[in-house]
Amino acid sequence: MGRFLLKRLGLATITLFLLTVIVFFGSQVLPGDVARRILGPFADQRAVDALNHQLGTDRPLLTQYWDWVSHFFRGDLGTSLSYHAPVSDLVGNALVHSLKLAAFAFVLVVPLAVLGGVVAALKRDRPTDRIITLGGLSLTVVPEFVTGIMLILIFGLWLDVLPVSANAPDGSSVLTQMRYLVLPALTLVILLFGYIARITRAGTIEALDADYTRTAVLKGLPRRTVIFRHVLRNSLLPTIAVVATQTGYLIGGLVVIETLFNYPGMGRLIFTAANQKDFPLLASAVLIVGIGFLLATLLADIAYSLLNPRIRYAAAE
Amino acid sequence: MDETQRRVDEIRQESSELENHIIDQFIDGKITRRDFVRRGSVIGMSIPLLSFIAAACGGNNETTGTTGGGTATGEVSSGGNVRVALIQPATAPNPVIVKDEGGAGLIGSTGEFLSFSNAKLELEPRLAESWSPNDDGTAWTFKIRQGVKYHSGAALKADDVKTVFDTLSDPKNSSNALSALGGVLSPGNTEVVDDATVVFHLDGPNGNFPTLVSSANYNAIIIPSNLDPADWGKTFDGTGPFKLEKFTPKVGATFVRFDGYWGEKANPDRMEIKLYDDEAPMVNAIKGNEVDFVEHFSVSGGKALLDDPSVTVIAIRTATHRQLHMRTDKDPFTDKRVRQAIALSMDRNALVDGLWEGKADIGNDSPFAPVYPSTDTSVAQREQNLDQAKQLLADAGQSNLTVELNTWNGFEIPDLAQLVKQYASQIGVTINLKITDAGTYYGDAVFGKSPWLDSVMGITDYGHRPVPNVYLSSVYTSKGTWNAAHFKNPQADQLISEYIGALDLDSQRVAAKKLQELLLDETPVVIPYFYNFLSAAVPKLKNAVSAATGQFDLSRAGFTS
Amino acid sequence: MTVVQDPTAPITVPSAPDQAAIARRERLRFLRRSPTFLIGCALVGIWVICAIFGNLIAPHDPEFPDVLNKLVGPSGEHIFGTDRLGRDVLSRVIVGARSVLVIAPIATLLGTVLGTAIGLVTGYYRGLVDEATMRVVDAVLAIPLIITSLLAVVALGPSRVTLILVIGFVFAPIIAKTVRAAVLGEAQLEYVEAARLRNERGLYVMFAEILPNVMGPVIVEFTVRLGYAIFTIATLSFLGFGADPSIPDWGQDISQHYQFISGDVWWPVLFPSLAIATLIVGINLVADAIAQSFER
Repeated sequence: MGRFLLKRLGLATITLFLLTVIVFFGSQVLPGDVARRILGPFADQRAVDALNHQLGTDRPLLTQYWDWVSHFFRGDLGTSLSYHAPVSDLVGNALVHSLKLAAFAFVLVVPLAVLGGVVAALKRDRPTDRIITLGGLSLTVVPEFVTGIMLILIFGLWLDVLPVSANAPDGSSVLTQMRYLVLPALTLVILLFGYIARITRAGTIEALDADYTRTAVLKGLPRRTVIFRHVLRNSLLPTIAVVATQTGYLIGGLVVIETLFNYPGMGRLIFTAANQKDFPLLASAVLIVGIGFLLATLLADIAYSLLNPRIRYAAAE
Repeated sequence: MDETQRRVDEIRQESSELENHIIDQFIDGKITRRDFVRRGSVIGMSIPLLSFIAAACGGNNETTGTTGGGTATGEVSSGGNVRVALIQPATAPNPVIVKDEGGAGLIGSTGEFLSFSNAKLELEPRLAESWSPNDDGTAWTFKIRQGVKYHSGAALKADDVKTVFDTLSDPKNSSNALSALGGVLSPGNTEVVDDATVVFHLDGPNGNFPTLVSSANYNAIIIPSNLDPADWGKTFDGTGPFKLEKFTPKVGATFVRFDGYWGEKANPDRMEIKLYDDEAPMVNAIKGNEVDFVEHFSVSGGKALLDDPSVTVIAIRTATHRQLHMRTDKDPFTDKRVRQAIALSMDRNALVDGLWEGKADIGNDSPFAPVYPSTDTSVAQREQNLDQAKQLLADAGQSNLTVELNTWNGFEIPDLAQLVKQYASQIGVTINLKITDAGTYYGDAVFGKSPWLDSVMGITDYGHRPVPNVYLSSVYTSKGTWNAAHFKNPQADQLISEYIGALDLDSQRVAAKKLQELLLDETPVVIPYFYNFLSAAVPKLKNAVSAATGQFDLSRAGFTS
Repeated sequence: MTVVQDPTAPITVPSAPDQAAIARRERLRFLRRSPTFLIGCALVGIWVICAIFGNLIAPHDPEFPDVLNKLVGPSGEHIFGTDRLGRDVLSRVIVGARSVLVIAPIATLLGTVLGTAIGLVTGYYRGLVDEATMRVVDAVLAIPLIITSLLAVVALGPSRVTLILVIGFVFAPIIAKTVRAAVLGEAQLEYVEAARLRNERGLYVMFAEILPNVMGPVIVEFTVRLGYAIFTIATLSFLGFGADPSIPDWGQDISQHYQFISGDVWWPVLFPSLAIATLIVGINLVADAIAQSFER
């Protein structure tokens, strides 16, 4: 187990390093001059050059890269060029919002999708299964803004039961905040349900067909016990993996939903930063999202191997 | 002798030649009462005085036109919390670098100016009590109000005014204010004579100078000399009726009444500004009762508000416009007949009704907006004429053209671009649209590095200015830095400097008429409309004042029960 | 003259190519009878017809503005209503299919070709090349796809060519991963070993021997990614990366009209949304059916 963990960590570190390189040099490709973006098109060129020098954007790229990375891992995320505020404040604020929405959607979709997947597997190839599978698939592939707009039209406009923006007034109770988050969270649930349900279904089917299940049934255990004690545990394994891979998206990829519902999350922060060539903000924010994803997958791998003895032993060889 | 008449004579004896000239124009019926008050206030006559003279001397009836610029005045309860929706500023709240409505709204919430340019384009004294020009308009003397305190407790000093304008007029600081002060006032030429007097020594005669240092120049809030503008955002220190309680970047700010204000204390106890990235959420916010006042909304984005009887819409006529430029030095627009043809292909009435729901004035291809008193309204209005357009193209030998049009995707500009494309197609001209974002379109804003200034055809947005000086000198002069049409016409140059140097309305109008006719003939730029500035308020909110520059004044606002 | 089977001749087993042909026929038969496939094809088919014949079918000129009749609700004259410049929404929805059905397949093809090439090389050669490439792929995939595409489009500016390149390159890593997994499986088999023993060059082994045998996963990947491509294109247009707004484009039209929803103007948003939804669902049904056909 130790060797496996070490190997995984090693790989993750290399990936992390590559990620920093990709993020840094990637954001350098954005067009437009940093000082020009801040001061606007009408600023004097001398002022622009002076600001560029002050911000250090005229130094060699490698120097800038090292500067950024070394500060980042010491906890100093730099200062936003367009907001003149510490990046950590901006990112922290946005992250909290993203996590709230992600958590809410998570709490709704995981039980729902797992239930759906298990039921679909138990009633394999019967109408219930087809409805759940195909229905889920159809909803998943539709772009979030389409689903979001539909929900806004139905619940926000025609039925007028839910608010159309995701921002509760300051100081609202948790329940009120949740009410404002219902539509965006629902959009996410619709998006993710099909995919998670399908993976769970596949895992459940595999578990149902496996030897140990048949053994348990032959031993005379009631079907219910078989399902809960053996099948479920194993069918959840791929679900964990899938949920982990969605983490990156849930934290940083919700640009569209955040735009639609005017929600100040990480996705929108990154989008605005890209448009303003706010390099420190952009790079640090994207890196955080990437790190979140790597962490999540690492944890998922560990959880997976802990729960599934076969992997553990295979890796140890 | 009549008491009123005696008083008027007294006033006239104390007034300068310029001021008397204006009074004469009014008595002779050459200018309307509205123009009289406006023009008079610009050159430093107080509004109560002007109103008195106007009442005493009769004169023309006031023409209909601008709405008051605010919600109906009425009985309001004292106190209250007014919530405002404001568009997100692109920069930090630093008075020197602020460059958009959001920024202007934020700094104007606690900061004050020498004077306030109201919806009728009149100048109301604020930190300056009065002002007057010397004989040729090259120096303006401002009397600074005494006994004014900042929110921080420091006293307002004449030095503060000098520091502010030296900073803003210095090209090194690249302030947006340079668009008003560049070429007019140079750094170091603001002189502090004594604690109550500041003299501005101008680069040249300028009859409209006071407007350029009023709230119309939204960077020009007066702040303490020893406060670094970059730190202003921490305290929002100013002399206005509201002071800062808390500011959260990207989210908003709250303000409370400033009890040490030099004038009438603010009516609301609190004011709250909420920042929005987009218009749609603002519209939803006022409909959903999350805010009481929307500083600015557009016709397209706020259609819901225009149609909603439960929302009060405040419409102010402005000089905000779009310029469709055509490079006079590049094919196919070197021949003015081609330019005229494009101008004749457009159905301006449809644009006003379709794009602005009628809330705009038709433009006549010059920056002389109908709302300016110096505009000569006798110049014939250009109308759509497809046959004449096609004929002109044929005469110029250019019957099947293809041109690329560059612009950016803000406001109604993409809509206008698509409509221009359609109108042109009706006379045989194919326009290919290339619509990017503002950063790309403006580039570095210098010739050679900016699609705006280099493109053969483009659409640019121009915000409101209370006088047309800046449009004229920057866009239409041979050396103009904003001259996207590369228009080089010595006669135009001559007329423009005549206009700018003219101190009285008559001479301004004479130069304006000649310029308007010249530009109509040469048509380097098509200006199809000047649209209104729209704000929205909930019906219970009264006395909320908007100005065409995007600032708002809620100090007298309150709620009826 | 009849030919008599020679009993001493060697027994012929259908060769690999023949086996492939048989399998293909089986798959086609399955597809022909699969309701998923048929419904999917119908949905996609409608839009393909619209893309090709749009201008003939559309009742009005989709680009002609009539600004005094803007935002008029559905009526006899305009079944889907008019948009912000008075253009007929139905016509724009019909002709709008062209934009997405031209860009998406090309972009997906680009991504598939690139991804397959990478997958073949890393799966066959293994070793350092494989490890290094996979680490880079993992790093890129750590960032949500929409962010990567968004950054690329901001960098390169909005245009059709940009969209094609961006989507192609962004999809390549995922496709590479899948193809690599398939190649790993194939590389163990005997025919590959045999080819190596024959001293065939690597390129030959990869493209002439292995590739035909992983075409299954490649085709499945292509069809699935095609759906994602349309998804991504629509999303990027919605976020504001379209170029010329007078040309009908579903995602762009939605983003231009979204602000009007609060004024109860729902038609310029609803119909393009339904168009996107039906097209994408159709393609995914087809992809799903094809994937199932390979599983048999």
